[in-house]
Amino acid sequence: MVSEVAERNSLKISSEQDIVLVRKTVRDVCRDAGFGLTDVTRIVTAASELARNIYRYADHGTLTWNMVSDGMKSGLELIFADQGPGIEDVNMALQEGYTTARSMGMGLPGTKKLMDDMVIETKLGVGTKITIRKWVR
Amino acid sequence: MDDINVAVLRLRNVLIVSVPGDPDDHVITGLQDKILNSMMRYRAKGVILDLSTVDIVDSFFARTIIDTAQMINLMGGRTIIAGMLPSVAITATQLGLTFENIETCLNVDTAFTLMEQTG
Repeated sequence: MVSEVAERNSLKISSEQDIVLVRKTVRDVCRDAGFGLTDVTRIVTAASELARNIYRYADHGTLTWNMVSDGMKSGLELIFADQGPGIEDVNMALQEGYTTARSMGMGLPGTKKLMDDMVIETKLGVGTKITIRKWVR
Repeated sequence: MDDINVAVLRLRNVLIVSVPGDPDDHVITGLQDKILNSMMRYRAKGVILDLSTVDIVDSFFARTIIDTAQMINLMGGRTIIAGMLPSVAITATQLGLTFENIETCLNVDTAFTLMEQTG
């Protein structure tokens, strides 16, 4: 059972500059949470991928972050939510090399590999919510 | 594009490009233009991309680096990536980025030596 242990914080994503701000904010949050450099890099990279997806496909959305705990573990949870077009085929989007834009098709499958958990909730025409978590080692 | 803050240094006929620490998409795209135009202007034989101050390489940044290396190659030049941080190398590999056949070096110094010796 994952529970929230700290106050909720959020950030709007609606421009290229916001992608940089997401990276900077997530980096600060990760450092405060006690992650090591490599995990900080993994989490910030994952956040950059998801923030860019929002900007590119949904135009705008939000990032919300919380510290969470699960028994003895504590970690960071990032939620990227938008009211964009939604993902038509989540399984397809999770395959490496699949892309609908000018990119490498690494975004979602790569993000999943960098994090401990990733949950995608999406509905066509309604939006997408992607929750990623990393536990402090 | 001259409004971006990217240092392109010429040493003999090699360009050394210092990529800023946390570039936005506009800077990353501008970087490509600036490098290719500098290649032409200075008749450079190769480009060293110094990534030692870059702490994040996501798939967009990587795609641009790979594309730029391909364009430099089309112009008859050679590209060496230098100074990638351990945390970036780990993350890039897990993310699935391959950087295809771009040459790499531990730092700018060894990249320059390699460029001089074998170029």
